[in-house]
Amino acid sequence: MAPKRPKSRSKRRLSANARRWVSTLVVLAAVCVACAIAFTPLGTSINQGLDIKGGVSVILTASKSDGSQPSSDDMATATSIVQNRVNSLGASEATVQQQGANSILVQIPGAMDAEAAVQTIGQTGHIEFVRLDDIGDADALLKIRNGQEDVELADGSYTAFMDGSYITKTSVAQSSTGEYVVNVSFNSEGARIFGDVTTELAPTKGQIAIVLDGVVKSAPAVQSAITDGNVSISGSFTLDETKSLKTVLDSGSLPVTLTYSESRVVGPTLGQDSLQQGILAIATGVAVVVVYLFFFYRGMGILTLGSLACFAVLYLGLLAILSKNGLFSLTLPGLAGMVLTTGSAADSSILVLERFREEIRMGKSVKNASISGTKHGIKTSLDADIVTLVSAIALFAFASGTVKGFGLTLALGVACDIVTMFCFKAPALRLLAQHQIEKHPKFWGIEEDLEEAERARSERGAKGGVAYA
Amino acid sequence: MRSHFKGEIQFMKHRRAFFVISGVLIALSIVGILARGLVFGIEFIGGTEIDFHDTGEITIEQMRDALADAGEGEATVQTSVADGATGFLVRSGTTDPQTATDHANQVADRLGLEDSSYQVTTIGPDWGADVTRSSLLAFFVAIAAIIVYVSIRYEFKMSISAVIALVHDLLITIGVYAWTQMPITPNVVAALLTIMGYSLYDTVVEFNRIDENAKQLSDGKHHTYDEIANYSINEVIVRTINTTITSVVPVICMLAIGGSTLRDFAFAMFVGELLGTYSSFAVASQILCVWKCKEPKWAKIAAKYRDTATPAQEA
Repeated sequence: MAPKRPKSRSKRRLSANARRWVSTLVVLAAVCVACAIAFTPLGTSINQGLDIKGGVSVILTASKSDGSQPSSDDMATATSIVQNRVNSLGASEATVQQQGANSILVQIPGAMDAEAAVQTIGQTGHIEFVRLDDIGDADALLKIRNGQEDVELADGSYTAFMDGSYITKTSVAQSSTGEYVVNVSFNSEGARIFGDVTTELAPTKGQIAIVLDGVVKSAPAVQSAITDGNVSISGSFTLDETKSLKTVLDSGSLPVTLTYSESRVVGPTLGQDSLQQGILAIATGVAVVVVYLFFFYRGMGILTLGSLACFAVLYLGLLAILSKNGLFSLTLPGLAGMVLTTGSAADSSILVLERFREEIRMGKSVKNASISGTKHGIKTSLDADIVTLVSAIALFAFASGTVKGFGLTLALGVACDIVTMFCFKAPALRLLAQHQIEKHPKFWGIEEDLEEAERARSERGAKGGVAYA
Repeated sequence: MRSHFKGEIQFMKHRRAFFVISGVLIALSIVGILARGLVFGIEFIGGTEIDFHDTGEITIEQMRDALADAGEGEATVQTSVADGATGFLVRSGTTDPQTATDHANQVADRLGLEDSSYQVTTIGPDWGADVTRSSLLAFFVAIAAIIVYVSIRYEFKMSISAVIALVHDLLITIGVYAWTQMPITPNVVAALLTIMGYSLYDTVVEFNRIDENAKQLSDGKHHTYDEIANYSINEVIVRTINTTITSVVPVICMLAIGGSTLRDFAFAMFVGELLGTYSSFAVASQILCVWKCKEPKWAKIAAKYRDTATPAQEA
């Protein structure tokens, strides 16, 4: 136990502290208001996933360019490529399933632009690099030489010297002229082939056509030999087109051609009925917890509720901001992450309160207990929070789909909890401990603790007397 | 010391009982997983899709009831609208299209729909092998990161004890799924990850106090590591109980009135939360104590106080 400071000094120190606590609370209140604005109205400001809101169901039918039936291997590859593409479109958690022998069923949550998504998903993504002197179609050749864009090449009218299978890495960048380009890197085999061709073409400034799904995207003239395996693909793309091209190149080219055959609006996979029941269940649960906290902590329950409210506002605000940027959509697993972190937010309040009461029982004054109690309580929950954060970040960084979404909500929730701890719980409890709590120990539920401290003090006095007699 | 419980609850005294209980539960889980196996949901193994169209006024509840009667209680039911006509998209784990067609027939009969009102197609998994792979990778990276963090912040022995308790909780929850043959869906996977969170949180809170007390406590009553750990668990017990209540109550509500689709999910959370609380004092702290008592420093203290200890404090 720390020795008591001289009264005048402690008073001055505390009043300076009190000012700091008040200003912390004011700043937090302002942030909370901003968050509240961000997430109103709640129904539309936070994107909801397929399982909660429903979306669009699309069937893509696969066919081969030679008219034969796609093999089951082709379909498996195509499904997994479509899955990768869908996943890279954002935290949307769409579902992709092979249907029947030659279709792929894609369900896209309502919040996403289904048409644009299907366009990206359905691109064959077959990229080829062709020497201009290997193009047989004279008409097309002329158009390319004249600098016309998006010249279509007929199947079989050209021979590519390499294709996209050598690509190891892609990135989106802006060229010096402000044009969006996709930079690709080849593996060593690809770099060697590309190096050989460019070495050959460089002296004559020969052109290489970069062909995506049979359309010439650009046909740069080779200025010098490129042997490092890094090439940029340009073609007056918009930023969105560049991103979509990157997604397509990253996931490899489809072995089949996908055609859009049917789309319809679907309800949530969880079913509207379950959702209503779920909301009722959660509301009942929260009500019971609130009653319990008030029963157990009496006046202090206000503090717990206050910090939970503060946590919820910050959390929802953050999710709304992410939703606006298409980085978040709420699904049931995400909801599980939210419930879990709300649990830890309630827990960190309980930890702080318990520690506060414990320090009172140890004989500290209410004021001192509020200072050291919050400090120790926060230290404990911070440790537990960091462990959760570490696992949440690992899940977000390495997993995909459901598990990734869960990691994201978990990490964000923990971050909000930490902010609430420092900016609400600690200053609010310390401020209240200045006068209020001491004046009304019964209301704030610390009466028993004060009595226990008194009992311990007298016991210790009695024991000490015996021991030193 | 505590105002809510008179006297200290002797957790360390019952170490053998806890280990026996946990051992039996783990053995049962492993037997369950090996003998009965796990049932994976349609998201993992695929199944059939029954597409009901032009269903008119039929509600989703009626559809679900009819499906349950036909033996498709676990199916995912989605409402659908195509060209203004309402319908239902039912995805079921039934892999045999003929069986699924029979079921669809029963449903159509019951709801008074025409035979031509539905189509049955097979459907592949949505949760592909690479998703499983990346999720497993993420899980192991998370475990490794936890071990590193707890080892740096506290000590290596604590990190391993916490992870053993975590694996204990997950294994038993999975065992419950094997015995009840409830299907494992992506939502259950999310529930398992939530359990991982609860389990670690509880353990870290207790370890934090044990660590603090092992360094500082000098109340003249608690000397050995077992005594200090027991005392620490008692110090945080009110918090443990309150936290468990606040997190379990919403899950119980979900279990009771949450409807069929949320029930599986809530069930996993319920089992896991209780296990997470239990394992923090019955597994994690116990393993830590057994391990720490082998350290020369604590072994010496234990030897010193073994003879003088009052019966109540004997571990």
